[in-house]
Amino acid sequence: MSSIARPAPRRLTSFALASLPGNERVALARVAESVAGLGLPAARLDKLKTAVAEATMNAMEHGNRNRSELAVDIEVFQSGAEIIVTISDRGGLNDAGRPEDNAEVPDLVRKLNGEQGPRGWGLFLIRHMVDAVDVTTEGERHTVRLTLRTG
Amino acid sequence: MDEPRTTMDVRQAGGLTALIDIRGDVTAASEPMLMSAYEEADRQGARRLVLNFGGLDYMNSGGIGMLVTLLVRANRHHQELAAFGLSRHYREIFELTRLDEAITIYDNEQSAMADSGS
Repeated sequence: MSSIARPAPRRLTSFALASLPGNERVALARVAESVAGLGLPAARLDKLKTAVAEATMNAMEHGNRNRSELAVDIEVFQSGAEIIVTISDRGGLNDAGRPEDNAEVPDLVRKLNGEQGPRGWGLFLIRHMVDAVDVTTEGERHTVRLTLRTG
Repeated sequence: MDEPRTTMDVRQAGGLTALIDIRGDVTAASEPMLMSAYEEADRQGARRLVLNFGGLDYMNSGGIGMLVTLLVRANRHHQELAAFGLSRHYREIFELTRLDEAITIYDNEQSAMADSGS
């Protein structure tokens, strides 16, 4: 039985950010900078930036509970025709109340009728911006893995 | 990083239309500015509010939630919401969230104003 060896993912950047409001802007800028040489079409880069910003906000708010001393760790990899971004927080031992636990899909009509709150669009946006979203928890480390094809 | 990056200025655009020029970020943090702009337009008797996103730098899910809140208020007062100046990316987000079904989207200010009869 033969198998085709895939090249190991190449790490493009790795950094940590304090859980402070607005730091998602730093995250999206640094991720965009790290993939600048990959020829990603502008529309797909915009999607990646939005997904990274939303996942970073979720990590800061729901994972690290806005505790500024807790970092959000972000790594960016290239693997063949895919860009992979991992966003990790320290809230893995206290996962109740995560957006992904809420099965309710935001519905504008229901929101306008007062049947849903006006917020709650973050995970919905993430899922529509990238090709795959995977979530893992190991101890206190909770990681969201975003995968975007480059073409 | 938490300082407001946003300005929202109200212009009377003729008739019962008010135009809100949005510059900078549209996030949950900019809600007081948008609601203040809305109240000013409402005091002026606007029945139609046109949002100019031509100066938008960044909008996130909190900003979308804020637009939903604005829609609820406008609906309650029987006011119409329209918008122009959205980039292709944010226009796509309006389509995904179906905001484009509740806020009429125009390509530019001229077409938005032409539809208001001013």
